[in-house]
Amino acid sequence: MKTQIAVRNLRLCTKDCLCLYVCPTGASDTENSVIDTEKCIGCGVCAGACPSGAISMVPLEYPPQQKKDGHLAALSFALAGNKARQEAAARKLADEAPDNESYRLMTAIARSVRLVNEDLLRESGYMLPQSGNAHELLRRLAENPPSADFPADAARKLLERIPDNDHSR
Amino acid sequence: MRYICSICGYVYDEEKEGVPFSGLPDTWVCPLCRAAKSLFAPERQPETASAPVTPALSRETNVPDEAPELLSPLVLSALCSNLARGCEKQYKEEEAALFQEIADYFAAAAPASQDDSGGLAGLLQDDLDRGYPAVHGAARELGDRGTQRVCVWGEKVTMILNSLAQRYRAEGPSFLKYTQIWVCSVCGFVFVGNEPPELCPVCKVPAWKFDKIEGRASK
Repeated sequence: MKTQIAVRNLRLCTKDCLCLYVCPTGASDTENSVIDTEKCIGCGVCAGACPSGAISMVPLEYPPQQKKDGHLAALSFALAGNKARQEAAARKLADEAPDNESYRLMTAIARSVRLVNEDLLRESGYMLPQSGNAHELLRRLAENPPSADFPADAARKLLERIPDNDHSR
Repeated sequence: MRYICSICGYVYDEEKEGVPFSGLPDTWVCPLCRAAKSLFAPERQPETASAPVTPALSRETNVPDEAPELLSPLVLSALCSNLARGCEKQYKEEEAALFQEIADYFAAAAPASQDDSGGLAGLLQDDLDRGYPAVHGAARELGDRGTQRVCVWGEKVTMILNSLAQRYRAEGPSFLKYTQIWVCSVCGFVFVGNEPPELCPVCKVPAWKFDKIEGRASK
C-alpha cells in the first residue's frame, strides 16, 4: 500500500527533467505537468532527485491532531465570536460604502478578519479535517440541520470521505 | 534613542536619521510595512534572564467545552472555510468544495450586522485590550506555542486594521484614493501601497501571496 504521493509545485519547477529520468512508472511525464497520482507508487525518488525542490511527497494518512486545552479553546472561541462580529460589520460597511475607496477598505478588512479567524479556529481544535472535532461537528449538523436549506448532503459526503483519526484507530 | 515598529520590527534610530522621533509628522508611516507612527514604541533595554515558566497542568481535551453547533453562524462559516483550506493543502479538492459549501451556507445565514464604523473600531480595540491578552496569557501559561503563534500574528494584523479603521474615521477615505490595498492571503496583513511588500512583514510569505482588493465592478 502506498502511503504518500508525489506533487509537483509548478511555481518552483524549472523543467530539469530529473523526475522523468528516475520515475519507475512514468508518473511524472504528463502533458500538463501534473504528476499522475494513479501511476505514482509513492517511492519519493523524484523528490530526492529534483534540483529545484519542486516535488514534495504528500502523505495519504495523517496522525491524530495535537490536543488542545479546553479552557484555552473556550477563550479562543470567545475571541472568534468578536472576529465574526467584525467581519459582519465590515461586510455591511462595504455593501453600504458611498465610494470605491471605502468599499475597498471594508472589503479588505472583512477578508483580513476572516483569515485571522480561520487561523484562530485552526489552532482551537480544528486543524485537521480528519480530526475528531471536525467529525463531531459534521455529525451534529447532518443529524440536526440548523435549517431546511442546510446542505446536509455535503456534511454526509464529508463524513464518508474523510476518516476520523481520533476515534477510528 | 531607537524606536521599534511593533508590526515588522523596523528600527528608527534617531542618531542615524538626524530627526528626533517626536519631530516626525503624525502622518509618517513605517517605511517597511506602512504601520502608523503610533504603532512604534521606544526600544526596551534587554531584560535580565527571567526564570523559565513552568507550564501549568493542562486540562487537555479533544472537544471544546461548548457544543460546536451553538457557535454563531459566521464563526461556523470561518471554521468550515478553514477546514476547506485544510483539504486544499492536502490536494483534496472535492472535499474542499464540500466544506466551502457549508461555509457559504453559514455566511448567508448570518444576521445583518448592527455595527457602524465606530462599532467596528471598538470591536478591534476590544480584541487588543482584552481578547488577545487573555488568549495569549493562557497559551503562554500552558506552553501552547501554536496558539501563541496565532496571537502574535493575529494581534499584529488587528493593530494594523485598528489603525486603518481609526484613520478612516478621522480623515475619511481620501488617503486611499490613488493607491492599492493588498491583503496577505496567509495571515490577513493589510498593506496600503501600489505594490505589495517583497515579504509579508507579519508572516514572511513572498509578495505573490498578496491579493489586490479590487473596487466595485462598475454598473
